[in-house]
Amino acid sequence: MDNYEVCEHDVIVIGAGGAGLRAAIEASKEGVSVGLVCKSLLGKAHTVMAEGGVAAALAYADDRDNWQIHFRDTMRGGKMLNNWRMAQLHAQEAPDRVKELEEWGALFDRLPDGRISQRNFGGHRYPRLAHVGDRTGLEMIRTLQNHGIHQGIQVYMECTIVELLKEGDRIAGAIGYWRETGVFVVFRAKAVVLCTGGIGKAFRVTSNSWEYTGDGQALAYRAGADLIDMEFVQFHPTGMIWPPSVQGILVTEGVRGDGGILQNSKGERFMFNYIPEMFAAETADTEEEAARWLKGDKHARRPPDLLTRDVVARAIRSEVRAGRGSPHGGAFLNVYSQLPAEVIRKRLPSMYHQFKKLGDVDITSQPMEVGPTAHYVMGGIRVNPDTQESTVQGLFAAGEAAAGLHGANRLGGNSLSDLLVFGKRAGEYAAKYAKDRSSGPRIDEGQVREAQQTALAPFEGNGTENPYTLLRDLQTVMEEGAGIVRNKADLEQGLENLKKLVARHRDVKVEGSRHFNPGWHYAVDLRNLMTVSQAVALCALNREESRGGHTREDHPDSVTKWEQVNSVVRLRNGEMQLEHARRPDMPDELKALLTLPEGA
Amino acid sequence: MAGTLTVRIRRSDGSGAAATPPGPPRFDTFRVEPEPKMNVLDVVAKIQATQDPSLAFRYSCRAGMCGTCSMRVNGKNRWTCRTQVEKLGTDLLVIEPLPHYPVIRDLAVDMAPFVESMRLVIPQFVPAEPGKATFAKIGSGSRERREIDPHIECITCGNCYGECSLVETNKAYLGPAALNRAFTLIADSRDGAARARLELVNGHDGVWGCHTQFNCTEVCPLGISPTRAIQKLKRKELLHALTPHLR
Repeated sequence: MDNYEVCEHDVIVIGAGGAGLRAAIEASKEGVSVGLVCKSLLGKAHTVMAEGGVAAALAYADDRDNWQIHFRDTMRGGKMLNNWRMAQLHAQEAPDRVKELEEWGALFDRLPDGRISQRNFGGHRYPRLAHVGDRTGLEMIRTLQNHGIHQGIQVYMECTIVELLKEGDRIAGAIGYWRETGVFVVFRAKAVVLCTGGIGKAFRVTSNSWEYTGDGQALAYRAGADLIDMEFVQFHPTGMIWPPSVQGILVTEGVRGDGGILQNSKGERFMFNYIPEMFAAETADTEEEAARWLKGDKHARRPPDLLTRDVVARAIRSEVRAGRGSPHGGAFLNVYSQLPAEVIRKRLPSMYHQFKKLGDVDITSQPMEVGPTAHYVMGGIRVNPDTQESTVQGLFAAGEAAAGLHGANRLGGNSLSDLLVFGKRAGEYAAKYAKDRSSGPRIDEGQVREAQQTALAPFEGNGTENPYTLLRDLQTVMEEGAGIVRNKADLEQGLENLKKLVARHRDVKVEGSRHFNPGWHYAVDLRNLMTVSQAVALCALNREESRGGHTREDHPDSVTKWEQVNSVVRLRNGEMQLEHARRPDMPDELKALLTLPEGA
Repeated sequence: MAGTLTVRIRRSDGSGAAATPPGPPRFDTFRVEPEPKMNVLDVVAKIQATQDPSLAFRYSCRAGMCGTCSMRVNGKNRWTCRTQVEKLGTDLLVIEPLPHYPVIRDLAVDMAPFVESMRLVIPQFVPAEPGKATFAKIGSGSRERREIDPHIECITCGNCYGECSLVETNKAYLGPAALNRAFTLIADSRDGAARARLELVNGHDGVWGCHTQFNCTEVCPLGISPTRAIQKLKRKELLHALTPHLR
């Protein structure tokens, strides 16, 4: 067996984005010893890229807002598939989590009266997103990180976790390796919190960074935990599409929240043609009304450019298919005709520089070209809504790695609030769980050895597969088989192709030493990415309807019976099993909130 | 479009941060066909994917928000994701790891000295009034925020640390980013640790180590001027030292 180091903590948190940092802070506050493990450098997690803001019904920018309406918006945006209890806790607790960040030194943009400013975003009834220009994630990460380190959390950077370890049915820790040296390390811990983010790297065009390879979902799955709703992948409507090197990079929804409009090649504001029945009553149906809304008229309804992301992404795709796309196959996003140049530079500084530097486009005088990009997975690890514990004892999850809050489609801004609300809860309950266990878990050498062998396999044997080629092929298979619009034949073909890729992955070959070897890192990550890709395709094939982020051209409508059902995936007897589980029933007092009359 | 790119990349054997090899550096040369508006990160990624899978470098977001893809390109530290090849005005690229850091392997450096410098200045906010239930009401156009805001956008990419000639001569010098961070907190009236920080960053390993050469200011991809922050700190240091005598 290969040598390994041992680190011991009561709780280890895997992933140091917003959820992981918040979980670690809370667990540490409970008085237990906390280790925080991350795959990249601290502070570079995907949260840092979050632009638009954090959704919380603070009711500063519009005093008609409250948690009940935030709950309603979240459920409607999620096409009712959300775990209602998570949606409730999220809406109720988000304001306190945002204010707490300011106690720790964050400073959100201000209203003229000195209170926190809030911006409009898709699917949110009122301006609700607290923000720092369009770099909200940076302020959050910096604040959480500095606050957390000050509390004495031990951070382990550039460490890839390859397997969770168990003692019987319970979690016992995790094994990983240092990316710098390739040496293995075992984290012995009573509780593990997975905050590893999403799966965007399964798609070629994505807003996600390299870390997003479904590690947490795959680790939990292999440890026997349930995953739910994996078919729901959010394609953000506005990614950059030109030049090729930046394809997929996000253009914040804040552009539209601040007044930006979508146009086709004929200059038409096509979103007026795509207003779904469900949102007709609260969406402006003329440009004149949309213009009044932008000027702050509280009686005007919201422009259709701000419909939920699933709706806008499909609309852009339809326009392109109908031959009304922009030169590089997307739509035009125009903010220059809506706002003065200095306001654009003040409110959207990152977007201004991003387009200037990467695309030679000046967004204060030219339109942006945008199109859908894989952005977020609503599905993930099935958790208890109050404690965030998975179906494996001692294993917790929060943030994008966990599932339930967002249902079939996530509203913009609800991710940052998700991280804070459920990161805190996961940390709190993981610490409580650890405190209830008197003795530390036992590490099973057999599990360690097996994990090491699997991780080192790419160095052995006479395989011929290159990890970079495999990754590219996987992305092609997912875009063709399980992309933004799906059908039975493509999904079946996709699943077949995925099987072949899994077989090819057994022949992956890595040259050189274990010392900071990027080819090896990719080979290890690919194993997880293939597992989550299979889960996405399997769930998508079996949900015979369209809902939120899951669009089936052979089943274009939402079907009531499917509204009651979550797709559950688990590993049993070496096979991926799918079960359709009935969604928990909602109490009547929450049901009543969903039918609040307009303006209530 | 320009012709085939010649890319010279500085390599090291990968024996670890502690063992950066002595002697003359080794450069490997690659040829890459340029694509429209290709950036330098695309160039090294293409080499890794198609010519040398062992080429080591870091990157993460691709969008100029994390700073991990920083390298020295044609003699200047840059975010490679934001550096368009066409704009370099040459088809010869010489790519090296950021200077002033131990090299882990190839273009990946050990950020530990930089991380440590940041840790030393009490980078966390220390509330002046702990437990205060309400948050501060601050006008967005207030004088205080106008002073702080130009310095707050730092994403800790470490390019300035790698460009600062004072860091090169004095490894104990805190460097531009850490002092810039200290300034944003010292100038923040909500923070209560200004005095402690002023004492920490006093002396030649702190603000007085800066010789106002503006290397950091010139290299910062975000246009932040740590030099300016450091000069403001020097003024605060003087006031802090004089205050007891002025009473």
